Amino acid sequence: MEDIDLFAMRERFNSQQIMLCFNGPISRSLIEEIGNALRNYLSADHAHPSAAMDVFAVYIEMTQNISHYARERQWSEQEAGATVVVSRNQDGRYVVSAGNLIEMTDGERLQQAVAGLAELDKVELKAAYKEQLRRPRDEVRPSGAGLGLIDIARKSSEPLQASLQPLASGRGFFSLRAVI
Amino acid sequence: MTDFSIPSSQSTPEIRSDWANGKLYMAGDSYPENSFDMFQQVFNWIESYLEQNQSELTLELRLLYLNTSSVKAMMDIFDLLEAAHQDAKPVQVSWYYDPQNERVAELAEEFKEDCTFPFDIVSQA
Repeated sequence: MEDIDLFAMRERFNSQQIMLCFNGPISRSLIEEIGNALRNYLSADHAHPSAAMDVFAVYIEMTQNISHYARERQWSEQEAGATVVVSRNQDGRYVVSAGNLIEMTDGERLQQAVAGLAELDKVELKAAYKEQLRRPRDEVRPSGAGLGLIDIARKSSEPLQASLQPLASGRGFFSLRAVI
Repeated sequence: MTDFSIPSSQSTPEIRSDWANGKLYMAGDSYPENSFDMFQQVFNWIESYLEQNQSELTLELRLLYLNTSSVKAMMDIFDLLEAAHQDAKPVQVSWYYDPQNERVAELAEEFKEDCTFPFDIVSQA
Protein backbone atom coordinates (compact mmCIF):
# COMPACT_ATOMS: atom_id res chain seq x y z
CA MET A 1 0.00 0.00 0.00
CA GLU A 2 1.27 3.41 -0.95
CA ASP A 3 2.21 5.82 1.80
CA ILE A 4 -0.11 8.73 2.14
CA ASP A 5 1.53 11.85 0.77
CA LEU A 6 -0.32 14.61 2.55
CA PHE A 7 1.67 17.34 0.82
CA ALA A 8 0.72 15.99 -2.63
CA MET A 9 -2.92 15.77 -1.52
CA ARG A 10 -2.81 19.33 -0.27
CA GLU A 11 -1.25 20.56 -3.54
CA ARG A 12 -3.95 18.78 -5.49
CA PHE A 13 -6.76 20.16 -3.31
CA ASN A 14 -5.32 23.65 -3.65
CA SER A 15 -4.85 23.49 -7.42
CA GLN A 16 -8.42 22.21 -7.86
CA GLN A 17 -9.70 24.89 -5.46
CA ILE A 18 -11.29 22.31 -3.20
CA MET A 19 -12.72 24.02 -0.11
CA LEU A 20 -14.03 20.94 1.58
CA CYS A 21 -13.99 17.24 0.97
CA PHE A 22 -15.16 14.18 2.79
CA ASN A 23 -15.03 10.47 2.13
CA GLY A 24 -16.47 7.82 4.41
CA PRO A 25 -19.54 6.61 6.25
CA ILE A 26 -21.98 9.48 6.67
CA SER A 27 -24.41 9.91 9.54
CA ARG A 28 -27.15 12.42 10.20
CA SER A 29 -25.01 14.34 12.69
CA LEU A 30 -21.99 14.30 10.37
CA ILE A 31 -24.08 15.80 7.56
CA GLU A 32 -25.02 18.63 9.91
CA GLU A 33 -21.49 19.16 11.21
CA ILE A 34 -19.91 19.25 7.75
CA GLY A 35 -22.74 21.52 6.64
CA ASN A 36 -21.93 23.83 9.49
CA ALA A 37 -18.26 23.92 8.47
CA LEU A 38 -19.33 24.59 4.88
CA ARG A 39 -21.41 27.57 5.98
CA ASN A 40 -18.46 28.97 7.91
CA TYR A 41 -16.15 28.56 4.91
CA LEU A 42 -18.66 30.26 2.63
CA SER A 43 -19.02 33.11 5.04
CA ALA A 44 -15.22 33.46 5.37
CA ASP A 45 -15.04 33.31 1.56
CA HIS A 46 -17.45 36.31 1.44
CA ALA A 47 -19.93 34.35 -0.66
CA HIS A 48 -23.10 36.29 -1.46
CA PRO A 49 -25.84 35.18 1.00
CA SER A 50 -27.95 33.79 -1.87
CA ALA A 51 -25.03 31.82 -3.34
CA ALA A 52 -24.07 30.55 0.13
CA MET A 53 -27.63 29.37 0.70
CA ASP A 54 -27.76 27.64 -2.70
CA VAL A 55 -24.46 25.83 -2.09
CA PHE A 56 -25.61 24.76 1.36
CA ALA A 57 -29.00 23.63 0.05
CA VAL A 58 -27.44 21.54 -2.73
CA TYR A 59 -25.01 19.99 -0.24
CA ILE A 60 -27.89 19.10 2.11
CA GLU A 61 -30.12 17.62 -0.61
CA MET A 62 -27.28 15.55 -2.09
CA THR A 63 -26.08 14.14 1.23
CA GLN A 64 -29.58 13.51 2.62
CA ASN A 65 -30.51 11.71 -0.62
CA ILE A 66 -27.45 9.48 -0.18
CA SER A 67 -28.27 8.87 3.46
CA HIS A 68 -31.94 8.03 2.68
CA TYR A 69 -30.92 5.68 -0.08
CA ALA A 70 -28.55 3.66 2.11
CA ARG A 71 -31.09 3.53 4.96
CA GLU A 72 -33.91 2.33 2.72
CA ARG A 73 -31.69 -0.46 1.49
CA GLN A 74 -30.64 -1.19 5.06
CA TRP A 75 -27.02 -1.02 4.08
CA SER A 76 -24.30 -1.20 6.71
CA GLU A 77 -22.55 1.94 7.87
CA GLN A 78 -19.55 1.03 5.71
CA GLU A 79 -21.71 0.73 2.59
CA ALA A 80 -23.56 3.92 3.46
CA GLY A 81 -20.59 6.05 2.58
CA ALA A 82 -20.47 9.26 0.64
CA THR A 83 -17.76 11.14 -1.20
CA VAL A 84 -18.45 14.86 -1.09
CA VAL A 85 -16.42 17.71 -2.57
CA VAL A 86 -17.17 21.43 -2.58
CA SER A 87 -14.88 23.42 -4.84
CA ARG A 88 -14.71 26.39 -7.17
CA ASN A 89 -14.31 26.15 -10.91
CA GLN A 90 -12.23 28.36 -13.19
CA ASP A 91 -15.10 30.86 -13.48
CA GLY A 92 -15.15 31.22 -9.70
CA ARG A 93 -18.46 29.38 -9.38
CA TYR A 94 -19.05 26.98 -6.52
CA VAL A 95 -19.29 23.32 -7.50
CA VAL A 96 -20.89 20.70 -5.26
CA SER A 97 -20.15 17.06 -6.12
CA ALA A 98 -21.28 13.97 -4.28
CA GLY A 99 -21.03 10.27 -4.98
CA ASN A 100 -22.14 7.02 -3.41
CA LEU A 101 -22.55 3.31 -3.99
CA ILE A 102 -25.75 2.44 -5.77
CA GLU A 103 -27.49 -0.53 -7.40
CA MET A 104 -26.81 -0.31 -11.15
CA THR A 105 -30.51 -0.21 -12.07
CA ASP A 106 -31.07 2.73 -9.69
CA GLY A 107 -27.98 4.44 -11.05
CA GLU A 108 -29.16 4.07 -14.63
CA ARG A 109 -32.58 5.44 -13.70
CA LEU A 110 -31.00 8.39 -11.94
CA GLN A 111 -28.81 9.13 -14.95
CA GLN A 112 -31.95 9.21 -17.09
CA ALA A 113 -33.63 11.53 -14.58
CA VAL A 114 -30.63 13.88 -14.66
CA ALA A 115 -30.62 13.82 -18.48
CA GLY A 116 -34.36 14.59 -18.46
CA LEU A 117 -33.89 17.56 -16.14
CA ALA A 118 -31.08 18.89 -18.36
CA GLU A 119 -33.69 19.42 -21.11
CA LEU A 120 -35.76 21.74 -18.94
CA ASP A 121 -35.41 25.50 -18.60
CA LYS A 122 -35.96 27.33 -15.30
CA VAL A 123 -39.71 27.73 -15.82
CA GLU A 124 -40.15 24.05 -16.69
CA LEU A 125 -38.00 23.03 -13.72
CA LYS A 126 -40.24 25.06 -11.44
CA ALA A 127 -43.34 23.37 -12.88
CA ALA A 128 -41.72 19.94 -12.42
CA TYR A 129 -40.81 20.86 -8.83
CA LYS A 130 -44.35 21.93 -7.98
CA GLU A 131 -45.78 18.83 -9.60
CA GLN A 132 -43.44 16.59 -7.60
CA LEU A 133 -44.25 18.52 -4.42
CA ARG A 134 -47.96 17.80 -4.89
CA ARG A 135 -47.43 14.08 -5.40
CA PRO A 136 -48.62 12.03 -2.39
CA ARG A 137 -45.78 10.79 -0.19
CA ASP A 138 -46.50 7.10 -0.77
CA GLU A 139 -46.29 7.58 -4.53
CA VAL A 140 -42.80 9.00 -4.30
CA ARG A 141 -40.40 6.62 -5.98
CA PRO A 142 -38.78 4.25 -3.50
CA SER A 143 -35.28 5.42 -4.31
CA GLY A 144 -36.37 8.97 -3.48
CA ALA A 145 -34.27 11.67 -5.06
CA GLY A 146 -37.32 13.06 -6.89
CA LEU A 147 -37.93 16.42 -5.29
CA GLY A 148 -34.35 16.83 -4.06
CA LEU A 149 -32.91 16.26 -7.52
CA ILE A 150 -35.21 18.87 -9.10
CA ASP A 151 -34.34 21.29 -6.31
CA ILE A 152 -30.62 20.79 -7.00
CA ALA A 153 -31.21 21.38 -10.72
CA ARG A 154 -33.13 24.58 -9.98
CA LYS A 155 -30.28 25.96 -7.88
CA SER A 156 -27.65 25.15 -10.51
CA SER A 157 -26.49 27.58 -13.18
CA GLU A 158 -25.86 24.80 -15.71
CA PRO A 159 -27.30 21.31 -16.30
CA LEU A 160 -26.35 18.70 -13.70
CA GLN A 161 -23.73 16.15 -14.65
CA ALA A 162 -24.06 12.55 -13.57
CA SER A 163 -21.83 9.54 -14.09
CA LEU A 164 -22.08 5.89 -13.16
CA GLN A 165 -19.00 3.74 -12.70
CA PRO A 166 -19.71 -0.02 -12.65
CA LEU A 167 -17.86 -1.87 -9.91
CA ALA A 168 -16.66 -5.46 -9.68
CA SER A 169 -19.24 -6.09 -6.92
CA GLY A 170 -22.06 -5.59 -9.42
CA ARG A 171 -23.01 -2.28 -7.87
CA GLY A 172 -21.98 1.06 -9.22
CA PHE A 173 -20.59 4.37 -8.01
CA PHE A 174 -22.94 7.19 -8.87
CA SER A 175 -21.68 10.75 -8.89
CA LEU A 176 -23.52 13.98 -9.34
CA ARG A 177 -22.02 17.41 -9.98
CA ALA A 178 -23.83 20.72 -9.63
CA VAL A 179 -22.38 24.09 -10.60
CA ILE A 180 -24.07 26.81 -8.56
CA MET B 1 -55.26 21.71 23.29
CA THR B 2 -52.04 22.39 25.10
CA ASP B 3 -49.52 24.84 23.77
CA PHE B 4 -46.03 23.74 22.95
CA SER B 5 -42.67 25.38 22.61
CA ILE B 6 -39.75 23.74 20.84
CA PRO B 7 -36.34 25.39 21.05
CA SER B 8 -34.33 25.59 17.84
CA SER B 9 -31.48 23.20 17.07
CA GLN B 10 -28.86 23.37 14.35
CA SER B 11 -31.25 21.85 11.83
CA THR B 12 -34.69 22.58 13.29
CA PRO B 13 -36.56 25.85 13.83
CA GLU B 14 -37.87 27.35 17.03
CA ILE B 15 -41.63 26.75 17.18
CA ARG B 16 -44.12 28.24 19.67
CA SER B 17 -47.87 28.01 19.79
CA ASP B 18 -50.25 30.41 21.53
CA TRP B 19 -53.79 28.98 21.57
CA ALA B 20 -55.34 31.87 23.52
CA ASN B 21 -54.17 34.45 20.98
CA GLY B 22 -54.43 32.26 17.88
CA LYS B 23 -50.76 32.51 17.00
CA LEU B 24 -48.12 30.13 15.80
CA TYR B 25 -44.50 31.22 15.53
CA MET B 26 -41.71 29.47 13.58
CA ALA B 27 -38.20 30.82 13.14
CA GLY B 28 -34.86 29.62 11.84
CA ASP B 29 -33.57 26.89 9.55
CA SER B 30 -35.37 23.61 8.96
CA TYR B 31 -33.42 20.78 7.37
CA PRO B 32 -33.73 17.69 9.55
CA GLU B 33 -33.38 14.46 7.63
CA ASN B 34 -36.74 13.38 8.93
CA SER B 35 -39.03 16.34 9.49
CA PHE B 36 -42.20 14.33 9.84
CA ASP B 37 -42.62 14.15 13.65
CA MET B 38 -41.78 17.78 14.24
CA PHE B 39 -44.19 19.06 11.60
CA GLN B 40 -46.88 16.56 12.59
CA GLN B 41 -47.10 18.27 15.98
CA VAL B 42 -47.54 21.67 14.30
CA PHE B 43 -50.04 20.27 11.84
CA ASN B 44 -52.14 18.66 14.60
CA TRP B 45 -52.16 21.85 16.67
CA ILE B 46 -53.33 23.95 13.69
CA GLU B 47 -55.95 21.36 12.76
CA SER B 48 -57.37 21.38 16.31
CA TYR B 49 -57.30 25.17 16.51
CA LEU B 50 -59.20 25.52 13.24
CA GLU B 51 -61.77 22.92 14.33
CA GLN B 52 -62.44 24.47 17.72
CA ASN B 53 -62.17 28.19 17.05
CA GLN B 54 -63.80 30.81 14.88
CA SER B 55 -61.25 33.43 15.85
CA GLU B 56 -58.30 34.33 13.70
CA LEU B 57 -55.22 32.16 13.35
CA THR B 58 -51.97 33.92 12.47
CA LEU B 59 -48.74 32.25 11.49
CA GLU B 60 -45.71 34.42 12.15
CA LEU B 61 -42.83 32.95 10.18
CA ARG B 62 -39.17 33.87 10.27
CA LEU B 63 -38.02 30.72 8.55
CA LEU B 64 -34.77 30.80 6.58
CA TYR B 65 -33.54 27.71 4.77
CA LEU B 66 -35.91 24.74 4.31
CA ASN B 67 -34.82 21.42 2.82
CA THR B 68 -37.24 19.77 0.41
CA SER B 69 -38.80 17.55 3.08
CA SER B 70 -39.55 20.65 5.20
CA VAL B 71 -40.92 22.44 2.12
CA LYS B 72 -43.34 19.56 1.61
CA ALA B 73 -44.42 19.70 5.26
CA MET B 74 -44.96 23.48 5.07
CA MET B 75 -47.03 23.01 1.91
CA ASP B 76 -49.30 20.63 3.86
CA ILE B 77 -49.69 23.32 6.54
CA PHE B 78 -50.55 26.00 3.97
CA ASP B 79 -53.04 23.61 2.33
CA LEU B 80 -54.71 23.24 5.72
CA LEU B 81 -54.96 27.03 6.05
CA GLU B 82 -56.27 27.30 2.48
CA ALA B 83 -59.04 24.80 3.25
CA ALA B 84 -59.97 26.79 6.37
CA HIS B 85 -60.01 29.99 4.33
CA GLN B 86 -62.37 28.35 1.81
CA ASP B 87 -64.57 27.61 4.85
CA ALA B 88 -64.55 31.36 5.61
CA LYS B 89 -62.34 30.98 8.65
CA PRO B 90 -59.95 33.87 9.24
CA VAL B 91 -56.37 32.76 8.72
CA GLN B 92 -53.27 34.69 7.75
CA VAL B 93 -49.55 34.28 7.32
CA SER B 94 -46.83 36.87 7.82
CA TRP B 95 -43.38 35.77 6.67
CA TYR B 96 -40.58 38.13 7.67
CA TYR B 97 -37.24 38.04 5.89
CA ASP B 98 -33.94 39.85 5.86
CA PRO B 99 -33.59 41.79 2.55
CA GLN B 100 -29.94 40.62 2.46
CA ASN B 101 -31.19 37.16 1.64
CA GLU B 102 -33.55 37.22 -1.34
CA ARG B 103 -33.75 33.40 -1.42
CA VAL B 104 -36.03 33.48 1.62
CA ALA B 105 -38.40 35.91 -0.13
CA GLU B 106 -38.39 33.71 -3.26
CA LEU B 107 -39.23 30.66 -1.16
CA ALA B 108 -42.11 32.49 0.54
CA GLU B 109 -43.36 33.77 -2.86
CA GLU B 110 -43.58 30.23 -4.23
CA PHE B 111 -45.75 29.16 -1.32
CA LYS B 112 -47.88 32.26 -1.64
CA GLU B 113 -48.65 31.48 -5.31
CA ASP B 114 -50.83 28.56 -4.21
CA CYS B 115 -52.67 30.42 -1.42
CA THR B 116 -55.62 32.79 -1.62
CA PHE B 117 -55.72 33.80 2.08
CA PRO B 118 -53.81 36.89 3.29
CA PHE B 119 -50.12 36.04 2.97
CA ASP B 120 -47.72 38.90 3.66
CA ILE B 121 -44.03 38.70 2.83
CA VAL B 122 -42.38 41.41 4.85
CA SER B 123 -38.84 42.69 4.40
CA GLN B 124 -37.36 43.44 7.80
CA ALA B 125 -33.69 44.31 8.17
